[in-house]
Amino acid sequence: MLKIDHLTKHYKGSNKGVTDICLEIEAGDIYAFIGHNGAGKTTTLKCVAGIHDFDSGEILIDGTGIRENPLLCKSRFAYIPDNPDLYEYLTGIQYLNFIADVFKVPAHRREELIGRYGNDFEITSSLGDLISTYSHGMKQKLAIISALVHEPKLLILDEPFVGLDPKASVILKNIMKETCDNGGAIFFSTHVLDVAEKLCNKVAIIKDGSLIASGNMDEILKQGQSLESIFMEVVKDA
Amino acid sequence: MLKQIKILTGLELCNIYNLNVLRFSKDRKRKKKELSIMILWLFLIAMVVFYAGNLSYGLLKLGLADLIPAYLITAASLLIFFFGIFKAGSVIFQKGGYDILCSLPITRTAIVASRFLRLYVENLVMAFFIVTPGLFVYAWSLKPGVSFYILGVLSILALPLIPITASILAGAVITGISSRMKHKSLAAAVLSVLFVLLVLYASSRLSVMEETITPEMLKELSSVVTGLLKKIYPPAVWLGEGIITGSFATCLACIGVFVAVFAAAAAIVSVFFHSIIQNLYATSARHNYELKSMKANSVISSLCRREFKRYFSSSIYVTNTIIGPVMGCVLSGALLFTGTGLITRSLPIPLDVCALMPFVISGIFCTMTTTATSISMEGKNWWILKSLPLAPGSILNAKILMNLLLILPFYLISEPLLIPALKPGSFSDCIFLILIPAVIILFSCVYGIAVNLHFPVFNWENEVTIVKQSISAVLGGMGGLFLSVLCIILVLLVPDEYSTLCRLFLCIVILGITALLHKKVSAPDAWQRYEL
Repeated sequence: MLKIDHLTKHYKGSNKGVTDICLEIEAGDIYAFIGHNGAGKTTTLKCVAGIHDFDSGEILIDGTGIRENPLLCKSRFAYIPDNPDLYEYLTGIQYLNFIADVFKVPAHRREELIGRYGNDFEITSSLGDLISTYSHGMKQKLAIISALVHEPKLLILDEPFVGLDPKASVILKNIMKETCDNGGAIFFSTHVLDVAEKLCNKVAIIKDGSLIASGNMDEILKQGQSLESIFMEVVKDA
Repeated sequence: MLKQIKILTGLELCNIYNLNVLRFSKDRKRKKKELSIMILWLFLIAMVVFYAGNLSYGLLKLGLADLIPAYLITAASLLIFFFGIFKAGSVIFQKGGYDILCSLPITRTAIVASRFLRLYVENLVMAFFIVTPGLFVYAWSLKPGVSFYILGVLSILALPLIPITASILAGAVITGISSRMKHKSLAAAVLSVLFVLLVLYASSRLSVMEETITPEMLKELSSVVTGLLKKIYPPAVWLGEGIITGSFATCLACIGVFVAVFAAAAAIVSVFFHSIIQNLYATSARHNYELKSMKANSVISSLCRREFKRYFSSSIYVTNTIIGPVMGCVLSGALLFTGTGLITRSLPIPLDVCALMPFVISGIFCTMTTTATSISMEGKNWWILKSLPLAPGSILNAKILMNLLLILPFYLISEPLLIPALKPGSFSDCIFLILIPAVIILFSCVYGIAVNLHFPVFNWENEVTIVKQSISAVLGGMGGLFLSVLCIILVLLVPDEYSTLCRLFLCIVILGITALLHKKVSAPDAWQRYEL
């Protein structure tokens, strides 16, 4: 579903970025992407989402290159950034309608999905208010609903649990599992290693812009160690 | 308190003209871009210096050397005031960082004072480059005493205080009134435009000569101009006379009054500061939304609606870009009542007003286009459009369409007023009256986008920096204005018998350039090409 092949991206005038990242996310995967602050997680996710251009390598979504056919690729995934900076001058429902219009979601289907996810995240009554009145958590919930309203096959999420209340976190985890059960895939970054350990079947660890470990969660978690201790060990050794 | 003001002012000023970015950024490309922007600013400053110097030299040759300081102080004060009306409110009452400052042991007076001082420093630069060339011309030809130099420097330092105070108070009143309304940004924009129209009307009444100029008056030109300047802005005349006569008492009294007025305004604003900010940024959420049946729209319609919502959410954006079309309508209406006689009589040589007026109207309509800053205005929301399956062409076309739809009602009001007002002599003149503004407006919108693609700024705290101070606003927003001036010059150079052909040629060329520009900016690889 998503193949990152020798991705290299460096910011001009600085030595920050990512080097030679290779990852493959298949249908049904919930893939965690972990690393310390500034390791290159957001850079990688932004390259995948088509927000950043990159120096070399390839990013394929269902076999289509994001550089060659960005519109087709972008129509297949949804991206949520680490900080949901949404259009504060729109109401929640106007924003969702805008996204649904861009993805050409039929009116009856968007009604159905917004109704369902709005109620799940308990945000329906606030959809008529301006986004500028929303708390960080509410903006995060709205960003999640906007990502789900066009039923993407691939979800690219940057720190999706930050700002969510415990109930919303559980609902999001269930939605992630449901998406994968229906043949979709999730690629997300997180600092919450407990969540990654329990939720994901695959994990990748990035340090200073390079991948230092990746693979099935079961293989990484050898000898009954927690992901936290493995992470500390791997990061120290690398 | 003074220490707090010093620290906060330092913070306000550290990134003035992006100097901090230029100093600390490790991104060579960004540094290069900032440097090229700075060079462009220097070029504009050089033009101002050249113009002010030549104007002063002209006054010198007319025997009006003693009026140079007063004349330039008036010009600088008016410019500071008019530029200030649009941005003073946004700078003084900006929310960015206010919450953090409130949590620190800092008085509100210190916050207000630091913002006043930021405006003062910004405008002092403008005052310096307008007045200094005039003082230099005067000193170079008349060799005045030391007092001239001392009082000249003190006057330049003091002259921004009164116009800034006036613009801040106008901005504060407008912001204060609009903060109590539901649609705050729109209310502020409407009030600002009304205020500018009121000031322009009042100043036009003031500057109109009570009688026609007679040979006797020409002999007394100095007193006529002094009288006119006194009507427009009396403190400039007092200050100017003080500099010329070397009267320390007059100058120091003026400067003292200026400083006192500025300090008093800061004190008054600091009293209402917190309540205005609280009202201005208060948001009400009703939490009573019920899901209704929804309607799907086309992508372009949805993008265009969003553009309009973005536009009307920012009072400074609206005020700066709507003033041109409003003034265009006002001029068309005024021409209907006055006719072209007044213009024809005031021109030094006989000109075909009907042939030139479409360009003049176009220039006014395109004083500042929305497209010139519409990409930068996306700011931290730019990721949304970039991550959606939208071609650059769709996004940019929506921005152009929004600008055209915004100007359209004004154009539709203006044209039916212009035709009976100008009474075109031929069918072709009538067609050009309709066609030329349409062509130039279309060009301006596309040109604005093209310039903003070259000079985008997403990392901003206050919209003022984009709408009023960005290089894109200066170069892109005034594209139509520059083009109109160029066209007027070309039409004037061509003999009358070829005027129709010349105007037709200009329309075709402008349309051709617009089409090429549009094709270039809306290419599928636009984001990569412009590194957005």
